[in-house]
Amino acid sequence: MTDAATVRDVAALARLAISDQDIENATAEFNQTLALFDALSSADTTDVAPMINPLDSAQRLRVDSVETLVDRAGLMQNAPASEEDYFLVPRVLD
Amino acid sequence: MTEPFETISSLAKQLDAGRVSSRELVEDAIARTETLNSALNAVIALDKPGALAAADKADKARADGSTSPLLGVPMLHKDIFCTRGVQTSCASKMLADFVPPYDATVVKKLDAAGMVSLGKCNMDEFAMGSSNETSFFGAVKNPWDLNRVPGGSSGGSAAAVAAGLAPLATGTDTGGSIRQPAALCGITGLKPTYGRVSRYGMIAFASSMDQAGPMARTAEDCALVLNAMAGHDPLDSTCADISVPDYSAGLEQSIEGLRVGIPKEFFSSHLNDGVAATVTAAIKELEAAGAVIVDVSLPSTDLGVSTYYVIAPAEASANLSRYDGVRYGYRCDNPSDLQDLYLRSRTEGFGEEVKRRILIGTFTLSAASYDQYFMKAQQVRRLIADEYESVLNDVDVIAGPSAPNTAFVLNDGSKSITDMYMEDVFTIGANLAGLPAISVPAGLVDGLPVGMQLIGSRFGEAQLLNIAHQFQRRTDWHSLTPDLEGLTG
Repeated sequence: MTDAATVRDVAALARLAISDQDIENATAEFNQTLALFDALSSADTTDVAPMINPLDSAQRLRVDSVETLVDRAGLMQNAPASEEDYFLVPRVLD
Repeated sequence: MTEPFETISSLAKQLDAGRVSSRELVEDAIARTETLNSALNAVIALDKPGALAAADKADKARADGSTSPLLGVPMLHKDIFCTRGVQTSCASKMLADFVPPYDATVVKKLDAAGMVSLGKCNMDEFAMGSSNETSFFGAVKNPWDLNRVPGGSSGGSAAAVAAGLAPLATGTDTGGSIRQPAALCGITGLKPTYGRVSRYGMIAFASSMDQAGPMARTAEDCALVLNAMAGHDPLDSTCADISVPDYSAGLEQSIEGLRVGIPKEFFSSHLNDGVAATVTAAIKELEAAGAVIVDVSLPSTDLGVSTYYVIAPAEASANLSRYDGVRYGYRCDNPSDLQDLYLRSRTEGFGEEVKRRILIGTFTLSAASYDQYFMKAQQVRRLIADEYESVLNDVDVIAGPSAPNTAFVLNDGSKSITDMYMEDVFTIGANLAGLPAISVPAGLVDGLPVGMQLIGSRFGEAQLLNIAHQFQRRTDWHSLTPDLEGLTG
């Protein structure tokens, strides 16, 4: 069982806020999902290598050359706030 | 008006014979979508000018001598594929205003084959869901019963094809998101082998399982489209550099003597009785066509759900960390500082199911839980993949239900979160193991479609399509269409 404080800590790591009003329900749902995972402990995984990717092979490497895949202006058009070629964020240093 | 439920192969013949133009097809598809979509909510972006221009281009290419089985045929993309200049939202508030400056490889390939994209289909937000109820743009309705879900996450794609808005829609399948909605809407949906189709430009959910595939009326059409979709892409390092066979070439082969394995775990207590009877009858049809039915066992089937719901949210929590309100996507109003910008943009921009999965994924990847959950799940994933491999060493394909139930009612409050996750129990295994699988219409229960699933060996799409096509030659479940008379007037 995981408590509300842990769920709040996890939410902070994920940069998500959970209101006081929602924390009880969120914790209950969290525990409901973790209970589903309990079944995993029944599997004997002694000496079983983890499977990260179904192809199980090393990823292909391409030639290390510079390529322009997309246009910068098109990407910048999606920025919520920008100036010239820069993304704007709230001031970090005073 | 052209007949809305035509297959791609039939339309190709009509286009070739000059009996219809691409422009006529596209105009009719747009008109039908505009009539039906207010009831279905299957399409969330219609690109009329782009579609009509592409149709005219296709008609001109045909007049100039081009021939391609897909040339000028209208289709829809799941809104998870980046489409240059056309909204790509992943059905999330987070990306509601996102307009990509580039096309996904799947989009490029189907464009190159001459297909005409009409627009984008609704889906579960970031492909997280099995009912299409998590979309920021509202739930999609099942054309067979507007009070029921179409399945998910490619629910808009499935509903659109089932309602005859287009003969093809693209889908993606991370835990069943092509096959389950295909089953619930009475269409044919193929999830290719992991690595068969490029994931470039396909918004990431769980990168070790996500795979794109065709959703159409028939296996024959899925083969035509897979011919164009599949193949090596240097822009996706997990896309296999393996030659693409002609998937249409082997469709007519006899399936006499093919060994079809039936896992007893697929006919368990999870399975609705009507669905069980329907799929059993479909398997008998395969037997009547000469297939040899073999009892097999996949003992870790139930464990697949736990395994998937550890791995997929873990990968999602990493993938979705890119949405921070800085470079693209939703940004909260008046952030007080950078941390406030991150926190409120994400909290306000993501829906409840997405946040639920990010939380669980962040938890299972944290140092204190990593071994107990994430590493353990990766190990169980191998056990499951090994079970499939062992069974597929004995049989050619595995057959069973695509989903445990027919389409359930919208806003079904009786289903808990984990009940909903169990809807994926029969489809998840193919994703964990990276195997190809197809869902084909197998019958109706109380007027609602049921799908039979066939799972094959890695890169064994040709065989799956062959068996599915032979099944569809013997049955007409794929030809049934929902009654939309009341909506079309």
